[in-house]
Amino acid sequence: MSATTSTSTLTAPGRGDGAAPRRRPGRGRLTRPERIWGRIFIAPPVIGFALFALAPLLFSLYAAFTHWNGLSSPVFSGLDNFRTMSGDAQFWQSLWNTLFLMLGIPIGLAVSLALALALNRRMPGRTAFRVIYYLPGVSSVAAISILWQWALNGDFGLVNQLLASVGIEGPNWLAEKMWVKPALIIMGVWKGIGFSMLLYLAALQSIPRTLLEAAMLDGAGAWRRFLHVTVPMLRPVTFFLVVTGIIGGAQMFAEINIMTPTGGPEFGSATIVWYIWQQGFQNLKLGYATAMSLVLGLMIFAVTAFQFYLNSRNVFTVE
Amino acid sequence: MRRRRFLTAAAGAAAAAATGVATGCGNLHSNDPDVLTFMFRGSTEERDVFSRAVDVFVQRTGYQVDIISTSADQYATKLQTAILGNSTPDVFYLEPPRTMAYVTNGVLADLSEYVEATDLPVDDIWPAGLDLYRFDGEKIGDGPLYAMPKDLGPFSFGYNKTLFEEMGVEPPDKDVPLDWDEFLARCTALTGDRDGDGTTDAWGTSVNIGAEIHSYVWSNGGDWVDADRRTVTVDTPEFAEALQYIVDLREKHGVTPSINETEGLDGYQRWLRGQIGFFPVAPWDLTLYRTLDFEFDLCPYPAGATGTSATNIGSLGIGVSATSRRPDRAAELAMFLACDPEAQAIIVGEGQTIPNTRSHAAKWVEETDVEPQNKQEYIDIVEDYGRFVPNAMTYTPEWLDAFYTNLQPVLEGRQDVGEYLEATQPVMQGFLDTGYEQLRIDQKANS
Repeated sequence: MSATTSTSTLTAPGRGDGAAPRRRPGRGRLTRPERIWGRIFIAPPVIGFALFALAPLLFSLYAAFTHWNGLSSPVFSGLDNFRTMSGDAQFWQSLWNTLFLMLGIPIGLAVSLALALALNRRMPGRTAFRVIYYLPGVSSVAAISILWQWALNGDFGLVNQLLASVGIEGPNWLAEKMWVKPALIIMGVWKGIGFSMLLYLAALQSIPRTLLEAAMLDGAGAWRRFLHVTVPMLRPVTFFLVVTGIIGGAQMFAEINIMTPTGGPEFGSATIVWYIWQQGFQNLKLGYATAMSLVLGLMIFAVTAFQFYLNSRNVFTVE
Repeated sequence: MRRRRFLTAAAGAAAAAATGVATGCGNLHSNDPDVLTFMFRGSTEERDVFSRAVDVFVQRTGYQVDIISTSADQYATKLQTAILGNSTPDVFYLEPPRTMAYVTNGVLADLSEYVEATDLPVDDIWPAGLDLYRFDGEKIGDGPLYAMPKDLGPFSFGYNKTLFEEMGVEPPDKDVPLDWDEFLARCTALTGDRDGDGTTDAWGTSVNIGAEIHSYVWSNGGDWVDADRRTVTVDTPEFAEALQYIVDLREKHGVTPSINETEGLDGYQRWLRGQIGFFPVAPWDLTLYRTLDFEFDLCPYPAGATGTSATNIGSLGIGVSATSRRPDRAAELAMFLACDPEAQAIIVGEGQTIPNTRSHAAKWVEETDVEPQNKQEYIDIVEDYGRFVPNAMTYTPEWLDAFYTNLQPVLEGRQDVGEYLEATQPVMQGFLDTGYEQLRIDQKANS
C-alpha cells in the first residue's frame, strides 16, 4: 500500500499493492460504490427527519397564521391567533402554571444530589437503594399518576395519613387551587429523582481524587471541598439536567391529563401543553394551538440559548 | 460477497421502511374499497356487544367490516387524527357537539337518501334522537339527517328503596315530582348516622354538578342560552336560584357528602355502597346497579319554580364518512345498528341502553322482572320532558366548559352565586361568539 502526499489512495480489500485506483482530486477518500452505499445508509434518517420533523415544522409555521380546525383546509388569518393569545387569560394562566411547576427542577436537583452523595459512600444495601430510587424513572407515567392520585387523596391518601401521624391535617391536594401545584411538584420530584441521582453518581465517581486530596492538604474542610471542588466538577451534569428539566417541564402533559383531567381547580394545574392539546383536539382550534406551540417552542429555545450562554461564561478547565 | 449481501438486505429494509411511510401504514381505510371500517368506543362489555351486532350484519349482508374500537378517553383524539390524515373510518361514533363542525367541514355524509330507500324501521326510532343529528347549516334540529342515534341516554333520577325503608322515609311518587322544599325535607330525613359511630353515613343525595345542574336550572325556568342559541343566559335570577339551591344542599343543609367526603369516596361510590338516598340512574349503569345489595327504582327529578321535572338526554350518533367509498353500505350499517330488531335485541339485552325504537320500548317497559320497575320514567324523559345538553346544539362546546372552570369556590360557598354568574356570562358569551365566528369562517372556506 502506498500513499502520496498530493492525493489520497485507498487500497481495496483483497487487492495487492499498487492495485489501488487513483482518484480525481476533491472527491474524498471514498470509492463511488461506497459513496452510493453511504447515501443509502443515511437516507432513512434524512428522509425520516424531513418527513416527520422538517415538514411538520414548516407546515406549523404556516398553520400558526391560519384559522384551522383540523377538518378542512387552513385559512390564512394573519396575526389573529397571536392577538387572541395575548388576551387569552387561560393561555397566560397555563403558562404561569407551567413555570410554577418548574420549581420542582431545583428542588429535584438538590434532593438527587444529596442522595447521590449519600449513595456514593460505602454502605450496606447501597445497590438496593440505587435501584429503589431509580424505579420511578422506568415506571409508566400513567401508572405513577394514578398512584399519586390515590396517595394525594384528601381523606384516605397516604400523604395525608403520614401528615396526620405527626398531627398535621393535610389539605385536599388535588381539589384545592392552592395545593394542586405543590402536589404535582412533589410527584414530579419523586418521579425524576432516580435519573438525576444516577447522573450525579456517575459524575461524582469521575471527580479525580487528587483534586480533593490537594484541597484537603491546603486545609479545606468537607464543606469547602464540596463547594469549591465537587460542585464545580458537577456543573456539566447540572447544566444538562437543568436544560433537559426545563424542556421536559415545559412539555408536561400526561400527569395533568390523568390527575386533573379538567385542568384542575380553577385551572390551577393546566399546563401550556395540556391547554394546547385541549384547544387543538377538544375545541377544534388547531391553528390557534399551533400558534401557541410556536410561541412555546421559541420560549424553550430562548431559555436554552440563554442557559448555554451562561454556561459558556462559566467554563473552566483543570490543568 | 457476505458484505454485498448485507448491504443489499440493509438497502431492502430501508426501502421497505420508506415505502411504508409513503403509503401510510396504519391507515384506518381498508385498501379494499368493499371493506367497511367501523370505529367506536366504550367499555369492554360495550365493545363486545357492538362487535356481536356487527357480526349479525356481516352474516346477513355478506359485507366485510373491519372493527376499530378504543377506550372512551382516547376516542375523540384518535378520530380527529384519522380525519386529519384523510383516513376517516367509513362508519364511526359521533359525539353530538361535533355534528355542526363535521357537517360544515364535509366530514359527514348526508344519510337522508339512504333513509328514504331502506326497509329498516328508521321511522320507529325516537324522533328526538333523529332530530339531534339534523342540521340545516345554521341550527341543529332541522334539515338533512347526518347520523343515526346509536342510543338515547335519559338521565333519570332514582332512589334507594332499601335506604328509604330503613330510615322510615316516604318514597317519592313515580309520576309526580317533589317540589324543592319536599325534596329537601326527604333528603334531611335520609341524612344521618345509621351505625351510631358518630359520623354521618347516609345522605339525602349527592349532586354531580356537571351532569345534574341542567335538571335544577331547567325545572326552575332558567336556561343556558336563548332560543336562538346565540346569547348565554346564565345571569338570570332563575339560573342563580337553581345554582344556589344546589350549593345550599351541601353547604347550608348538609344533606350531601362534603367536598372532602366526596374526594375520598365520590357520590357514585357512596351510592353503590347504599349510602345515598336519591341519585341519578342512567341506563348505562343498570347492569351494575342490578348487582347491588339494595333495591332501587326511578322517579322524576324534583321540580323547581315551573312545577315540572326536567333532565338531560345523552346520545351518541353513528355517522358515515363523506369520503367513504361505499357510502350505501356504510349507511346501511349505521341504520342497522340503530334500529334493526335483531341488533337492538343484542344491544338492549345487555341492559346498557334503552331501546332505540318505540315499538321495542313499549314491550321493554312492561318487563317487570328486572329493575327498575318504573322504566316508564325513561320513556317519559325521551318523549316528554328531557332535553339535550346545550353544547350539542352549538358550533363549539368551549363556552359551556368555561362555566365549570372557576366554579369550585361557588360550590364550596366561598363565592357568591350571583357574583359568579354575572362575571362568567361575558366569558361564556365570548366563547360562544367565537364559535359562531368559526362557523362563518368554515362555511366560507368550504363553500
